[in-house]
Amino acid sequence: MPGYAIETEGLTKIFRSRWSGRELTAVDNVSLRVPIGSTYGLLGPNGAGKTTFVKMLLSCALPTAGRAMVFGRNAQETESRRPIGYLPENHRFPTYMTGVGMLDFYGALSGMDSASRRKRIPELLNLVGLDERAHNLRLGKYSKGMLQRVGLAQALIHSPKLLVLDEPSDGVDPVGRKQIRDVLQALEQKGVTIFLNSHLLAEVELFCREVAIIQKGKLALTGTVQELTSGSGYRLESASVPEPLETELRAKAKSFAASDGNLSLLFDTREEANRAIDQLRSAGCEIEALGQSRSTLEEVFMKTVQTQ
Amino acid sequence: MNATLALIRDTFREAFARRIFFGFFGCCTALLLFLMFIMRIDVIAGALATVTIFGNTVRGADVQGLVVQTQSVIAMVMYFAGMALSVFASAGLVSAMFEPGRIELLLSKPVSRTHLLLGRYAGNVLVVAANIIYLVAGSWIIFGVKTSIWGTGFLLSSLCTIFIFAVLLSVLVLVGVLWDSAAVGIMATFAIMIVTPILAQKAQLEKLLDSEWSRNVLRGLYYVLPKTSDISIIIRHLILNQPVESWMPVWSTAIFGAVVLSAGVWRFNRRTF
Repeated sequence: MPGYAIETEGLTKIFRSRWSGRELTAVDNVSLRVPIGSTYGLLGPNGAGKTTFVKMLLSCALPTAGRAMVFGRNAQETESRRPIGYLPENHRFPTYMTGVGMLDFYGALSGMDSASRRKRIPELLNLVGLDERAHNLRLGKYSKGMLQRVGLAQALIHSPKLLVLDEPSDGVDPVGRKQIRDVLQALEQKGVTIFLNSHLLAEVELFCREVAIIQKGKLALTGTVQELTSGSGYRLESASVPEPLETELRAKAKSFAASDGNLSLLFDTREEANRAIDQLRSAGCEIEALGQSRSTLEEVFMKTVQTQ
Repeated sequence: MNATLALIRDTFREAFARRIFFGFFGCCTALLLFLMFIMRIDVIAGALATVTIFGNTVRGADVQGLVVQTQSVIAMVMYFAGMALSVFASAGLVSAMFEPGRIELLLSKPVSRTHLLLGRYAGNVLVVAANIIYLVAGSWIIFGVKTSIWGTGFLLSSLCTIFIFAVLLSVLVLVGVLWDSAAVGIMATFAIMIVTPILAQKAQLEKLLDSEWSRNVLRGLYYVLPKTSDISIIIRHLILNQPVESWMPVWSTAIFGAVVLSAGVWRFNRRTF
């Protein structure tokens, strides 16, 4: 039993211009492991190589070097795609199909028999929040959000073990986003591996346990969201700080913010924070809040992208 | 099998949605109605007396000749004009498959690229074949019912027409895989349809050429490219119930189609989307 849903080794994709011979390295020697049952986010700025990476997993693009494995099978084998459900970013579903017809078509291509499709399609359309009127409506009449929902249903039609989602909540309203997140959380509970490619860092932070950041085709950072966002200092908040003490503490702090009579200070070490507490208490100031500072995923992302 | 049927069904659905199927069906139905109403038959004492087609009245004894001539005209119209229309209509069906956002989804399914492309190809051939068979079988029945002449040559001609369409479609597929362009596909296919009848006159053309080298090029092109003109002659022979002198145009055209389609499949299997 393989331990990883996705495993790449030195995966590289170089695009060569047929005429000028110029080369563009879209993905550069990326080795990544996505454990079975995990929720994994792939982040990176536009043009970083995320989509090319995903396309190599699905064999839409053939690697120049290295290899990609899906549940232990070479990603170039047709059978390796059987356990995958995929929702592309800029999908273009045939507008002449209805929601039901589209799921029936992709279900058949996924190897489902007609009886299973008939049973599964209405369940899925309801699960993603498309009401019965939409079931037999042509996709050409669907809104962006409805297309995104039916696209998710399409990815789930054959009960995949690995979901590869490219911007799954793009164009979906906040209620819909919550619905999609609930669906994905339910799948996570069932042990489905979810590989999310999204620009919405808050969404990734909320949903994914692990992330990888790709920058200029290279793997810049990997780790759990917990690890990456924890422990970058100690934050201390106090009210009514006398001006001379405030000036002194501001000089010692890594950063500070003051508003409405409250002073917020960030210190690198616990010792520095403790010394500041002693000074504030001696001056009769109240400590409003104290805690270990956490970075947001956005901060981690920006820092990683800017240092590359 | 599930996937193959799904791909064929999808091609039909798209042909319906683009009104391609209805366009063909409408044209074929109009032609059938025309045949049904322009052919007047007078029967005297249970025997065929006269038949009037296009205002020409012929006596019973000549009806056989008139029917096969009319069938031959229909077959030729269907072969050349129908073929041009079919190519024009099918070009969009082929290139639509390679649209970004659609092809990735198809490729993400556990179906080989060869299977995907050939499934689409088969669906496209069947869309055109359904209409050709409808027209040929319909007019064959009309002629048969009205004249009791049930020759099979006319029916066989539909197979030749479907065959030549399948060959031309392989060109559309190859161009579609290479350049994603319906327009270039149409141009390439029409170029073949225009050039090959000229090449069929190779005996006359050779006399006009000075060098042996240029004559060899002419012969090479003739043997390599599909022989649309020669196959139209075979169709005519079949309808007129005359012996076919050589089947070379059919098998050499089949080889061309197989090679071009294989090249399309080969390129599709190596292409990055």
